[in-house]
Amino acid sequence: MSDETRNEQQRDEQQRSEERKQHEPKRGEALRKAWGLMGETARGVVSRIRWLVYAPRGRRVMGGFIVTGVVAGVVAAQPVCTIEPGEVGVRVNRLTGSVSELPEGWSLLVPHVHRLSRYSLKDQTFRPERSARATGPAPFQSMEGLSIGIEVNIRYVLDPGKIGALSARLPENVGEDIVEPLIDGVLRRHFAQHSVREIFSTHRVRIQKDLTEELAPLLAADGVLLRSVTLGNVDLPAQYRAGMETLLAEELNTEKMRYTLELKDKQVKQSALEAEADKVRREKAAEAAGSEEIIAAKAKAEAMRHILPFKEKEIEQRRLEAEAAKVSRLTLATAEADAHRIQAAGEADARRKIAESDAYRLEITGKASSEQLARDAELISRNPLLIQKTLADKLSDKIQVIIAPPQSGGFIAGNLLGPAGSAPSAALATTGAPGGEE
Amino acid sequence: MLATLVAIALVVQDQAPLRASPQDSSPRQATLWQGEWLEVRGERQGFLQVYDHRRERPGYVRATQVRVYSLDETSVPRLQAVMEFVKETPGAEALGIGHAAALLRAAKASQVGPEFFAALGTMADRLARRATSNRTNDTALAAHLDVAASYGVKLLGFEREGRTRVCYDGEAFRRVLALGGGAESRLQAALSLTRPECIDPALGPVELHALHTWRRSVLEQVDASALPPYLANRLHLRRAEVEATLAYQFSRRGEPQRGSEAAERSVDVLARVSKAELAEEDREAYAVAAVRVGASRAASAHDTPPPSSGPRLAWTPGQPGETCLRLEEAGDGRRVLFERCTYGLVWPASSRRSAQGTAVTVAVQMLEGWTELWVFHQEDGEWRLDTLAPGAVEPSLGYVELAGFSPDGSRILVTREVVSEGRVKSSFQVLKRDTLAPERSAGRPEAIGSFQRWSSADWRERTVSLR
Repeated sequence: MSDETRNEQQRDEQQRSEERKQHEPKRGEALRKAWGLMGETARGVVSRIRWLVYAPRGRRVMGGFIVTGVVAGVVAAQPVCTIEPGEVGVRVNRLTGSVSELPEGWSLLVPHVHRLSRYSLKDQTFRPERSARATGPAPFQSMEGLSIGIEVNIRYVLDPGKIGALSARLPENVGEDIVEPLIDGVLRRHFAQHSVREIFSTHRVRIQKDLTEELAPLLAADGVLLRSVTLGNVDLPAQYRAGMETLLAEELNTEKMRYTLELKDKQVKQSALEAEADKVRREKAAEAAGSEEIIAAKAKAEAMRHILPFKEKEIEQRRLEAEAAKVSRLTLATAEADAHRIQAAGEADARRKIAESDAYRLEITGKASSEQLARDAELISRNPLLIQKTLADKLSDKIQVIIAPPQSGGFIAGNLLGPAGSAPSAALATTGAPGGEE
Repeated sequence: MLATLVAIALVVQDQAPLRASPQDSSPRQATLWQGEWLEVRGERQGFLQVYDHRRERPGYVRATQVRVYSLDETSVPRLQAVMEFVKETPGAEALGIGHAAALLRAAKASQVGPEFFAALGTMADRLARRATSNRTNDTALAAHLDVAASYGVKLLGFEREGRTRVCYDGEAFRRVLALGGGAESRLQAALSLTRPECIDPALGPVELHALHTWRRSVLEQVDASALPPYLANRLHLRRAEVEATLAYQFSRRGEPQRGSEAAERSVDVLARVSKAELAEEDREAYAVAAVRVGASRAASAHDTPPPSSGPRLAWTPGQPGETCLRLEEAGDGRRVLFERCTYGLVWPASSRRSAQGTAVTVAVQMLEGWTELWVFHQEDGEWRLDTLAPGAVEPSLGYVELAGFSPDGSRILVTREVVSEGRVKSSFQVLKRDTLAPERSAGRPEAIGSFQRWSSADWRERTVSLR
């Protein structure tokens, strides 16, 4: 400590002791004055009280005071309370310790005897705002020890049936004093059992379900009914979030690929099914076409069957016609043969007759010839030159024979006939056309 | 490659020699036929030096045996003129097709219209007809077919009735219909595309149905009102045939309403044919179309209420495609008198009964152009069924229809029309009811007095045999 500072302290103490020495005689005088004033005041008060009691005006004033005081007391103590809709009141008698539930509306409340607690029966929500951000005052911790912010929304309501029993031991602000710490503890424990990734993406629903299952009986023991637990936005540390998003994007890609493959697989299956349907359709169409062809063929065969008897009849008719033709031809041939035979017989007869007639003719002719010969002989014997003429006739009708008179005294057939000196010479000449005879 | 050529030569004479050198004495490398396409590479001593891309061979050909064209727009009028000239010239189809190919190469797209394709189709169609007719002295035919095929003109061959028929696949005609064109070109295209003799006989019922539906759509693309009467007749005849066929097919496929509509349309279209304007060459086609319409005529008949007394016909489905006909007594008892199942198409609305109730007839269509008359008749108290077929020929095209009963019910009047050996034979007959043997028969109804007297008004109203 420096010397200057020490000097300043000493100076301050001296100053204070001087001031104390100056004030001591003034204090005694003031006490006396105060005592005098107090005596006057006491006397004044007594006189006023006497005035209030004995004077009529004083009594009116006192009555006024009393009424004012009573009204002020009632206003200050509030012996009637109002229970709003959606609330329940619990009135505890401090003297007897009895508890009664107050319905909606007005109820009497004796000051200093009754104590009233109000509980809301409406749904209440608890959102731990302090843990909503990773950078907030009280973030949750994940299994890896990372701070994460999670928006949790828990909806609960007080069990109206248990309020009477629980009001004795529960604080008035159940939400703040009981429910919220309890939920907070459970949330922290649960989140600490899961990794960030699980909380962020994969196990969210499961966590939500586990929380509900654990919180519901815990809160029910305190007369609180849990309506729902909802997990909202998960706030990650910025760097972790970037990495996580990349990872998730990768996963998403993988997932996408899986779905793409599934889609392709389904497309393949669809194509196969369509091809199958097409095949069946074509088979059906082919079957229908086949059956149509079969029906057409059957109809044609049936028509053919109807034609066949006619064809057969036609063939039979042709056969009959052929037979008839054959018979007619045979008859014709027979008739012709017969005709020929008859003709031949006729001819034979005719020839025989002719032969016979010829023979007869020959005979007659012979007879006639012999008679002729006899006559000729007789004639020749009478006319010898007739032989030459006959000979010339027989030589030919186309040869002109000139029988000249024998120049050397002889007949041309003299050699045959020998000398015929006695034969008369004759001159015969044949001239002219055939048949012509001279 | 061809687009880069400067000039081409089209052979105009059959059996033109492609020689190794520009001399008539040099060896013949190949024989060229009219319409063949050569690339011109030079000229020497009255010969053109050419390259034959089809045979992959160079050579020389007499300049007088080919016509040289440059493949640009300057040649278009010349090519068009030649094509127009040979379009209707028999025997020059390959030449025309060759010129058409050159024209298609030289002309701009805007210059090629439906008329071009109509000409190309006409030539290809005529070549197919030429290949079908069995003329033995047509030595160039095979070579011409080859030339046409080298230009992508597709000719299909079918075996039909023991002989081969060559048909053009109709590519050019399809283009005519697609591009528009005049009414006559469209008619020619439609008639060529829907030619019944060019239907593949191996087609099944399903394909046939699709084909006939397509034929109907093709014929609907032609406007009959824009045609001269004799050409409109051809369109009506073809449409009548197609509709009659569709009438059977729709009914067979279980669509009786559409079948009935098609049958009515076929009768309607046949009635549009103007007989006064009927060309001589169409008379046979008219008769054939009428037979086909007559065979499907029953499809358009409307159901008549069943008789209150006497026998009546009932029908139930049997096996797939089968109809079972039952002749039963009227009334509550419904005693079955006779039953027969058939794979044919039964037309219950055509059922008729004689006045005495001793005979009941019904039309049964066995094939799309073959309708029989089934006659249920009573003999000695027993009912029997006899079938009247159109004729004793292979079932193809024909019909029998009831024309009425004699007043005493002992005679049945029928009309038969059948196509036999390519000709239509019509006969109007009076049959004995008991034996169904023809008592009288004539080619015209007027020739039989009893037929004239007894034929029913119902028949006269609906028949197509009295055309």
